[in-house]
Amino acid sequence: MEETISLKEIFQTLKQRWRLLVAIPFFAMLVSAIISSFVLTPMYERSTQLLVNQAVPEGQLNQQVVRNNLELIDTYSEIIKSPRILNEVIEAEGLDMTYGDLEAAVSVGSQSNSQVVTITVESESPTEATLLTNSIATVFQEQIPDIMSIDNVSILSEAEIGEDPTPVSPKPLLNIAIAFVVGLMAAVGLAFLLEYLDTTIKTEKDIENIIDLPVLGAVSNMDSVDAAAKKTS
Amino acid sequence: MARLTRTKKKPVQKKRQLIADVNRRSPITEQYRTIRTNIEYSAVDTEIKSLLVTSAGPGEGKSTTASNLAVVIAQNGQTVLLIDADMRKPTAHYTFGLMNNRGLTNVLTRQQKQDDVIQETNVENVSLLTCGPIPPNPAELLNSKMMELVLQEAREKYDMVILDTPPVMAVADAQILANKVDGTIIVTSSGKTDREQLQKTKENLVKANAHLLGVVLNNKPVDDTTYYYYK
Repeated sequence: MEETISLKEIFQTLKQRWRLLVAIPFFAMLVSAIISSFVLTPMYERSTQLLVNQAVPEGQLNQQVVRNNLELIDTYSEIIKSPRILNEVIEAEGLDMTYGDLEAAVSVGSQSNSQVVTITVESESPTEATLLTNSIATVFQEQIPDIMSIDNVSILSEAEIGEDPTPVSPKPLLNIAIAFVVGLMAAVGLAFLLEYLDTTIKTEKDIENIIDLPVLGAVSNMDSVDAAAKKTS
Repeated sequence: MARLTRTKKKPVQKKRQLIADVNRRSPITEQYRTIRTNIEYSAVDTEIKSLLVTSAGPGEGKSTTASNLAVVIAQNGQTVLLIDADMRKPTAHYTFGLMNNRGLTNVLTRQQKQDDVIQETNVENVSLLTCGPIPPNPAELLNSKMMELVLQEAREKYDMVILDTPPVMAVADAQILANKVDGTIIVTSSGKTDREQLQKTKENLVKANAHLLGVVLNNKPVDDTTYYYYK
């Protein structure tokens, strides 16, 4: 059966199932709001910045030195997340977590062509996040001469607990927005699926196509006639 | 024999069912008139004096169509006899607000004379032969010689005889009656009648030598343009 899909038909299908299109996104938003506010534990993030820079004897910045430092940054990012550093931190702070736990909570990043490395730790308490970040920075700074035999790391800024910390995740608004979009897409998909699975006849044309008998007439739905009559009179 | 189970519908108000009599100027009544006219035109060589109304499944509007057609045909000045041959779920007596203690089954079992059980309705020129007590063997009764005699007598006395029957996909009653009448109408309902069931219904009726006049589509979605003249 050849079918042409017209915009009008699509609109008609959606209009017919508008309840679905309202209900599903609404429900998804509700669920997402509930989960964001009551189920998920708020997470806090704190970060420390390190500067990777070698002291240059003549007091002039040398292009070559800067480039070397930049090339080191990727290596440093790996080193920061290595067991050697993180296990040291766990030991030093007497933490009740495995290397894996801590490794998952730490992220290291740097802007391209910048000598600044940012260490970020996510944790359920802002205090812990601050403590860990600073501890990692300190341990790393201490260990680097041992590992790389150059001492070119300095701490640029330390993390602070800060007043009235706001959690970074979950973001209820963002989650609700995502739920709305996903719900809407699901609802549209479902509407078309239902339309496709609906094997009932709809119009006179359907009847003629299926059984090739003349349509003697069509009788409107009484309720809708009443409604339409009210509208026009 | 397949037992017929039907979902309970909320009782339809009488005024709703017999809209052709209650509201002659309703667009719905106009639509029934169109059907009436098309039935008249669909008979090319033979005069159609008896009609059978059936559908694929339950609740597609057979009884409503049959009774409203009876009314609009009567409004044309013809005398109409509506026979409730739906012995599975007779409803015509509700529609016209009449008793159903005696009816077609009494005639078929030769307990009553036909003339004695046919009732006049409130609608001018429309008479009703109700179903009567529900029998255990509807198909056999409808297949009897007596049923043919009933129809013959009705044809002689009335300008038009309309039979309301059970759905084709459920029981064989409609197929049994289909070749005893001049024309058969299949009633469908938008958004309810299944395509395949409709196809099978047509096939079954064709096998039963029915003279298929055409299809009526009920429950058609309304677009506002129809109400241009309806104030």
